[in-house]
Amino acid sequence: MERRNFFKITSLAGGGLLLSTYLPLACTSTEVPNIDWEPNFFIRINSDNTVTFICSQSELGQGTSTGLAMVAADELGVSMDKLKVEFGQGSTERYGDVQDTGGSNGLRIVWPSLREAMATTRALLVAAAAQKWQIDVDECYCEDGHIHRKDQEGQKLAFGEVLEIASTLPAPREIKLKEPSEFRYIGKSVLGPKTKMAAKGTTPYSINKKLPNMLYAAIARCPVWEGSLTSFDATEALKVPGVVEVLEVEPTELQTTDYKGGVRPGVAVLANSTWAAFEGKKALKIEWEMGKNGLKSSATIQQELADNYKTPSKANINLNDATTLFGRSSKVFSAVYDAPFQANACMEPLNATAYHRGHKVEVWSGTQAPQLTRDRVAELTGLPVAAVTVNNPPSGGGFGRRYFCDFVEEAVILSEKVRVPVKVTWSREDTFLTSKYHPITKDYWQASLDANNYPIAIKYRGSIGRPGAYRCYPYSIPIAFYDYLKYKDGWLLPRASWRSVYAHPWGLGLESFMDELAQNANEDPLQFRIKMLENAEVVEQKELPWVGDDLYPAKLKNTLEMVAEKANWDTTNDGIYQGVSAMGYNTSYVAMVADISVENNQVKVHKVTAVIDCGLAVNPSQVKAQIEGSIMWGLSATLKDGITVEQGHVQQSNYDTYDLMRITDAPDIEVHIVESNDTPSGTGEVGVPGVAPAILNAVYAATGKRIRQLPITASLLESAVS
Amino acid sequence: MINGELLEVDAHDNMPLLWALRDVLDMTGTKYGCGKGLCGACTVHVDGEAVRSCTIPISALEGKEITTIEGSAVNPILEKVQDAWYVTDVPQCGYCQSGQMMSAAALLAKNSNPSQDAIHSAMNGNLCRCGTYVRIRKAIRAAADNLDQNAN
Repeated sequence: MERRNFFKITSLAGGGLLLSTYLPLACTSTEVPNIDWEPNFFIRINSDNTVTFICSQSELGQGTSTGLAMVAADELGVSMDKLKVEFGQGSTERYGDVQDTGGSNGLRIVWPSLREAMATTRALLVAAAAQKWQIDVDECYCEDGHIHRKDQEGQKLAFGEVLEIASTLPAPREIKLKEPSEFRYIGKSVLGPKTKMAAKGTTPYSINKKLPNMLYAAIARCPVWEGSLTSFDATEALKVPGVVEVLEVEPTELQTTDYKGGVRPGVAVLANSTWAAFEGKKALKIEWEMGKNGLKSSATIQQELADNYKTPSKANINLNDATTLFGRSSKVFSAVYDAPFQANACMEPLNATAYHRGHKVEVWSGTQAPQLTRDRVAELTGLPVAAVTVNNPPSGGGFGRRYFCDFVEEAVILSEKVRVPVKVTWSREDTFLTSKYHPITKDYWQASLDANNYPIAIKYRGSIGRPGAYRCYPYSIPIAFYDYLKYKDGWLLPRASWRSVYAHPWGLGLESFMDELAQNANEDPLQFRIKMLENAEVVEQKELPWVGDDLYPAKLKNTLEMVAEKANWDTTNDGIYQGVSAMGYNTSYVAMVADISVENNQVKVHKVTAVIDCGLAVNPSQVKAQIEGSIMWGLSATLKDGITVEQGHVQQSNYDTYDLMRITDAPDIEVHIVESNDTPSGTGEVGVPGVAPAILNAVYAATGKRIRQLPITASLLESAVS
Repeated sequence: MINGELLEVDAHDNMPLLWALRDVLDMTGTKYGCGKGLCGACTVHVDGEAVRSCTIPISALEGKEITTIEGSAVNPILEKVQDAWYVTDVPQCGYCQSGQMMSAAALLAKNSNPSQDAIHSAMNGNLCRCGTYVRIRKAIRAAADNLDQNAN
């Protein structure tokens, strides 16, 4: 297997190393001139010797601002406590095309260019000090925000004292990155500024934004997707104290890149407080035309997918000629897995503030896609991209939903009409009833079996299948991917990304099916997986969007072997049953074991043990936090509610009808990290897709009942046949 | 009284405390989550009790003592809770954590050595979509131990 060294620099497509020079003002004083220096777009070195790190990626709670700041601090040679963090603006010209945060890509994608930029800056600071001391650069080193002399201990210059010279020097032809042994922070559980702010309640979420003359807006949106506004009466709404104006919101068309567009037809109430806007909205009288989706329900879509499965299909990906091998036996085992629509239900409701000033627009919104949003605002307003500023403060959860910019479009549309700053805040009900959703899925798996009931080949047809789309199949059993299943005509609910995106239904199917195949072959499910990974080939996926590296079955096998040991696999405890899963997501790997019991058809999860291989773990506490959170996320989707639709209307409107895991439901969670010096890969999503199958496999171990549908409810379990 | 300071709020009587804090007084540490007392993000203390500020109109609060997440200077238990939240690395996105910490501080004010069951029943109304519950349990234990040491 090819091992990758994490300090090997790979060039960043379109990004590269971005340097700018600062021309100092003429300064006659011998005192330290009061200049700040921005050697690149990641940092500003301040004349007071502090360093400001500008976080290009979106901070959604995954800790990217801390992880990246640690990388910057280490490569530059500055203390984390001297490092301030600022949250950046969307800018392709500064960061290349890599700023939008999705697919767990933040640290992985910025790591090379950030390190190069910091190493270059360090070299310039050292060269400036050497010039000042009139000694060779090799006689100096950078540490703790100072340049030190090797020959004279204690002799040092603060960054601020050499900025003037450093800013005039040419960049070195060659730069040297630090060796891992020189890292002070990388690999340690450092508490970052975002944690400190959150523990004080001072995180500057965009929902807190307040500007002079700002109006607070609430929008009543068409409750059925692709319905339209017939008429509205604002008389009563305008009587609500604090309400200023009521305006129609014209829809925007969902773009081919569906991250853009999809603003629903609506009526906006603008007021002098959020509460007044919400109250005004309640007083609106609106007639909607529901359109064709008004006749459809979740069941309609499930039927459409089932009907589509009956249509002819071809194998778009046919690994090791799986289709031919499949036909060598007439013994076929089939299973179908179902998962409902899901909501992201981020704790911070969607919101955006926009100020359209005619010739330029400024936006404040916690978004995962500041670059895409900026391009979209330019498109919508007809202004050049340079006239659009997108400020991207931390957000209260994104999980994929904030990659879509419809909620920013609404604020821009309204501010364009009224020409004062407008903050649009979605009510909690809006985020459930009229949002964008993880799609409903149906996945068909088939395996042909040999005389000993071992699988020969697999045919898969379901939510994934277009070449280039997500697939992460690590096993040695040949597999064919057929055309993905399509709806009859268009979306019933518009699509959003949802933590782990299509890996969730993929994991549900693949890891349940592997368990079923083990059961057919009368094998231990964990050992069976290990066997099926032993001779598996490395899967080429480096060139696929979001991925960045190939898939190594041996890494997944290693996580399985570790989790077997950590979770005491196969040693039975009274009434406790175990289920296992192993998943790769892009270039990270997680194996997990769930310990559950079942009483009166109620599933109780006692403990989940997980092992992650994410390359070098830059901040182990944050890596573990992401896996803990992903497990809770997966458990909500497995044991709690989904989103259901009747006559086009979403049936869940708040946390009472869309329940999440609560502290009482939370199992003990143990996360182990594989020691690795490979390039850091993502951690935000890889922990999700294995959760549902691990639980369902444990339910099978406990009850002999194979559940192939989410969420698993007491009535579902009761009616299932063992 | 909010965080030990006597404040007058110029707002409609029916405005929930949540919105008076956020939009009128610019105290944005208290968060809007659901508007119906279902998620706990807006939790504050009224006369020492953890309550959901999204469902209490300001007219009901005349003469009451209110503590918010900004009130750690006048509430030593809250300060200990915030410290424990930080060193335990609890917050992820952090949005629900003001409410979580307010619920935890109210619990510890009444029960300085809470059992797991007591923690669960005090915290079960506070949702966290990032799934930080395991660390919340740990942080409450840490804060309790810390308070205990101080008391001795």
